[in-house]
Amino acid sequence: MSEHLAPLVMNALADGELSPDDLRTAKQHLEECLACSSAALDQCLLKSAVTRLGHRHQPSEAFTARMNSMLSSPDRKDRLTNANVPHARRNGLSKLATAAVLLLMVGAGALIAVLSLVHGNAASQHDALTAEVTDAHVAMLAVSQPQVLSSDRHTVKPWFQGKLPFSFNLPENLPSDVTLTGANLTYLDRQPVAQLIFTIGKHKASVFLRGTSPGNSPGFSATTNGFHVIEFNGHDLEGIAVSDVDSARLTELANLLRLAQTKP
Amino acid sequence: MTLLPWRRKAEAPAPDASSFGELALPLLPGLYNFAAWLARDRGIAEDLVQEALFKGLRGFSTFEPGTNFKAWIFRILRNTFLTSQSGLHAMRTVSLDDEVREHTGALMPESAIDRRTPELDLLRLSDSEALERAMNKLAPPLLEVLLLADVEEMKYREIASLLGIPLGTVMSRLARARSFLRRELAPVKEWAREAGQ
Repeated sequence: MSEHLAPLVMNALADGELSPDDLRTAKQHLEECLACSSAALDQCLLKSAVTRLGHRHQPSEAFTARMNSMLSSPDRKDRLTNANVPHARRNGLSKLATAAVLLLMVGAGALIAVLSLVHGNAASQHDALTAEVTDAHVAMLAVSQPQVLSSDRHTVKPWFQGKLPFSFNLPENLPSDVTLTGANLTYLDRQPVAQLIFTIGKHKASVFLRGTSPGNSPGFSATTNGFHVIEFNGHDLEGIAVSDVDSARLTELANLLRLAQTKP
Repeated sequence: MTLLPWRRKAEAPAPDASSFGELALPLLPGLYNFAAWLARDRGIAEDLVQEALFKGLRGFSTFEPGTNFKAWIFRILRNTFLTSQSGLHAMRTVSLDDEVREHTGALMPESAIDRRTPELDLLRLSDSEALERAMNKLAPPLLEVLLLADVEEMKYREIASLLGIPLGTVMSRLARARSFLRRELAPVKEWAREAGQ
């Protein structure tokens, strides 16, 4: 019998969010596994109970009537819209002055927009990536076993063959208190990635590896909710290491992974 | 460049203010319900919904007809809550990780799937008071995802777009929320087991 269904899969099953292939696989597993069948039923029961209870707050009749009146009365809508008209239209500024002010504002606005786009895009991409990898790492912590459970790099690496559109190397030697625990096939930004799981002392660390795509920035680091995130690039691969271990230890692991990619 | 689903180009004519009510009023119960869960106060919920509708009406010209109005207006409501006093207080009171840690003793709750019998689950889930207490203890970031998925029946992608978070974050928050509810309901389950003996 295959491994039990992962929590995220079980949730997606109850929410009708599994792809047809994943759904077929899940159904096959459910037919064989009593524990997962029971858990799936439990998931559906919980969902339907939340759905039932979740509707408990109903607006009062008075409030509904007030909102109906507010949104149905053209006069009120007009007043509301007029309240948003810039004061410049009412305080008697000449049309020329208004036009000049507007022109300046548009120019300044455009300049600010361009500058914030340049700086903001990279920052927001990093923020989104940081949030996504941290969540994937935390989700991994909640699962008792990874998809492939092995400390042998000769077992872990071949497991990804045919599952990823790229290949990668694992370091031959790791520091004494660092061990490879296993790996998951997961997704970042809708792309399949390898999630390598390491133990550093008493801490868990995930290293996500994915093929480099155009536009990926050179490495960055961030800290969120106590987790350090370190990105590195090397040989058509992008790696992102996540852990709550000391950032120097995580950097050491990231460097080992990065150097391993330089080997043939 | 298209950033948000409701900003996608649509071939429908430009919206006018008169159609705002037609789109918004059917959603009033859902908007109020969502606000009441988040604010935990009926009066504040009414204020939030009213303010969100004002904002929606004022900004309706920026809405692309034919796109997801529900996600658009729910996003306005959520942002209104986040910038309200009750929203700021709720978000400041306890961080997401602290809340999870506080109730579970660990960074993450136990596996989102625990193995119990459906009969016992039915018993504990029929205790709506216990479930409501558990839902009220959920941190707002978890509660809002749970409500949008289970009550508003939004798809993960819609929720991700509405909240401005990655799809994976939606999935993990949902798993955390449900795992937290199970843990909170566990004492009820124990009671049910004892009652059955």
